[in-house]
Amino acid sequence: MTYLLHIFILIGIYIILSLSLNLIAGYTGILSMAHAAFYGIGAYIAALMALNFNSPFILNLFLAVIGSSILGALVGIPSLRIKDDYFIIATFAFQIIIFNILNNLVSFTGGPMGLPGIPQPVIFGIKISSHFSFLVLTAILCAITYFICNKIVKSPFGRILKAIREDEVFTKSLGKNVSAYKVKIFMISSGLAAISGVMYATYITYIDPTSFTLMESIFIISIVIIGGAGNLKGSIVGAVVLVMLPEILRFVGLPNSIAANIRQMLYGGLLVVFMLWRPQGFIGEYSFNRNNENG
Amino acid sequence: MFQQYIFNTLITSSLYSIIGISFAIIYRTTRFLHFTHAVVFTSGAYFTFLFYKLFGFSIYFSITLAIIFSLLLGCLIEKSIYKPLRKKQASSMILLLASLGIYILLQNLISMIFGDDTKSIRSGVVKEGINILGARITPIQIIIIITSVIVTILLLLFLKKTKTGKAMKAVANDVELANISGISSNRVILISFAIGSALAGLAGILVAFDVDMTPTMGMNTLMMGVVAMIVGGNNIKGIVCAALLLGFAQNFGVWYISSQWQDAIAFVILIIFLLFKPEGFYGKKLRKQSV
Amino acid sequence: MDNLLKIQNCNKHFNGIIALDDFSCEISKNEIVGLIGPNGAGKSTLFNVITGFISIDSGQITFNNHTITKKAPNKINKFGISRTFQGLRLIRQMTVLDNILLSFKKQPGEHLENVFFKNKKAKEIESENKRKALKLLKDTGIEDKANDLADDLSYGQQKLLSLLCCLASDAELLLLDEPIAGINPAMIEKILFIITELPKKGKSVILIEHNMDAVSQVCERVIFMDTGKKISEGTPEEVRNDPKVIEAYLE
Ligand SMILES: Nc1ncnc2c1ncn2[C@@H]1O[C@H](COP(=O)(O)OP(=O)(O)OP(=O)(O)O)[C@@H](O)[C@H]1O
Ligand SMILES: [Mg+2]
Repeated sequence: MTYLLHIFILIGIYIILSLSLNLIAGYTGILSMAHAAFYGIGAYIAALMALNFNSPFILNLFLAVIGSSILGALVGIPSLRIKDDYFIIATFAFQIIIFNILNNLVSFTGGPMGLPGIPQPVIFGIKISSHFSFLVLTAILCAITYFICNKIVKSPFGRILKAIREDEVFTKSLGKNVSAYKVKIFMISSGLAAISGVMYATYITYIDPTSFTLMESIFIISIVIIGGAGNLKGSIVGAVVLVMLPEILRFVGLPNSIAANIRQMLYGGLLVVFMLWRPQGFIGEYSFNRNNENG
Repeated sequence: MFQQYIFNTLITSSLYSIIGISFAIIYRTTRFLHFTHAVVFTSGAYFTFLFYKLFGFSIYFSITLAIIFSLLLGCLIEKSIYKPLRKKQASSMILLLASLGIYILLQNLISMIFGDDTKSIRSGVVKEGINILGARITPIQIIIIITSVIVTILLLLFLKKTKTGKAMKAVANDVELANISGISSNRVILISFAIGSALAGLAGILVAFDVDMTPTMGMNTLMMGVVAMIVGGNNIKGIVCAALLLGFAQNFGVWYISSQWQDAIAFVILIIFLLFKPEGFYGKKLRKQSV
Repeated sequence: MDNLLKIQNCNKHFNGIIALDDFSCEISKNEIVGLIGPNGAGKSTLFNVITGFISIDSGQITFNNHTITKKAPNKINKFGISRTFQGLRLIRQMTVLDNILLSFKKQPGEHLENVFFKNKKAKEIESENKRKALKLLKDTGIEDKANDLADDLSYGQQKLLSLLCCLASDAELLLLDEPIAGINPAMIEKILFIITELPKKGKSVILIEHNMDAVSQVCERVIFMDTGKKISEGTPEEVRNDPKVIEAYLE
């Protein structure tokens, strides 16, 4: 039972990550390979606050979101100048730089040893420590994230994001400040990703940089794409499928030594298969089919 | 000490420039980021390990065979995945995502077959360095530098002098125009995959002889090659210069900050270039304003 | 005459190709001006320069006494200049209605804070805009397509839609780049009719068009340009009979 609850909590964490990345990748059409960096920044901010200042969970969550969205702007602003392939490489670069910082600033982040003993959340006097209460908290945060994302994509603001995705030049010609929208959506998306990080840190009570690698970023973008870019429900489908699928393998009785590899191969393979035959993912509305000729 | 830094810079730069050039050859004709290149690079090392250590073939035969297998691997990926995708008019983003998928697939396949631990093909080759001008340098490191110089010169000649080389340039400039003028872009792309992959395999082997191999060695090295390509402006001479700049910054950066920051140094250089000189050292502006 | 747009001595070249060569002209309020000239004359470039998509090498452009040289395209649109593109741009994966809704100016719902707060006002304006959009569609007889993807429209209907987007943006000056090229006669009539009505609504138009009959039908004034220079200007009749124009076409 705890095992199932654990899986559901993980799914919840990945739903928040993929919902938030969907705003950038699926709705605005910008591939970003740095989402795990924001996930990590959220986790580290909350962990460091809790460990050093013993500050309350809600405040840590708030600061994590703010801190991460400020860094989000840092990635969003270059997206105005750097385009397409080069922007993807720039997000790779950002991701690896953040990983390096987490890994190398040993006195501050604990380096490769990570940060152990992160206190569990206490919200309005209630200590969240059982798996079940964590699941409830995760579910609530998922619902809030979904509500926020849904509001955004259904609004005229969201309409502009989609327009940017389809044709930046046309959107500019209609008087929309494309740059401002890109930076804003990057900030929102990174801020939301930080929620996942905070949940992860306080749930596992230990973090180290290996949870926030480039490979993790690629995993998150795979969830968005396989589930369906440009559709919030797709992100939920994607997270459920990609987190559950390898767990099912566990019951097939694969030896542990190769299970991890098989798991990765499975999602790598899925990504290729989807690109070949169903680039819009399960229920997506965008398939990255725009061969970019925008100025 | 100083001489040692110079040598280290040369070695690092040679490596980045082979990787950068091998990647650029493919990128120029296909216009998408073929991340699977990282695993083609790694495969060179592991094929050598397989033939040399497990099958007991002679070292030179193993290396030759490994390069051929890397070449075939690259071509196989092109034929079985990229070409069908191109046929469906897939965008460069879709191709890129597919290439990431193949990368994950193949990298884990290598992990599964060979294990995640470090494998070595060094035994038998002299590990002890020799002293040159006060710097310690191993024979394999000298080979790396010489190979990179030879490869660069050969490629420059190939692109300038041969018909195939010129066709590659034509496809790089404008696929449609090349197709109209009777060049088969698919054939040229396949050739560029062959050359690029063979070079990547070779680079993987050289690295393995220098510092052993792990299944994940490819991505990091490839990223440095990509950085060299972008900073160089997707042009062979530019890539060599950029590789020198990167090698220099990383090795001399160690003087001021610790060696763990080498990756970060390279990527900071990249971001600076992307922001302020996106066309790189030698590159022309890649895109014209289109309205 | 009330001056609306003033272009002074504009120059633009693309690596050696001269697209605009000391080009000057003025557009008044409530008039339709035809801009004609052979392929590659620099007509579309002039539009791109006015709307800020391409920066000029030298020269000055003022609109309603505001200098708009070197301003960003979105700013220029806000001053009241709207355009269509020769290569027909629309958001093809959005519905016809959404394309028009996107084009309205000053939408509170486009501000992030209004997505979450004060959104009653935003909702009101959104439904108000929806009414206006449906009326535009109805007036032009494609209201049944409102919920189709723009991509599913015929080419002529797409051109009509891009004109409707300009109308929705409520601009004072419309720059129309070959709005009737390649479409059927019935649709041409429909679009030309919309254009002729514009001055009555206080709008001005610059119309790029190769079809001289259409130009003569809707424009009082025509500017002929070639290799980036203004060659001739006057009524359609005058320009058509200008020896310099005839010479340019014979070359
Ligand atoms: N973004 C650009 N980059 C480089 N050259 C350009 C660009 N835009 C236009 N040109 C060149 O400038 C010249 C003028 O082009 P423009 O599109 O303005 O002509 P036009 O009068 O609109 O012709 P047409 O009737 O064919 O539409 C052409 O030679 C064209 O090749
Ligand atoms: Mg034109």
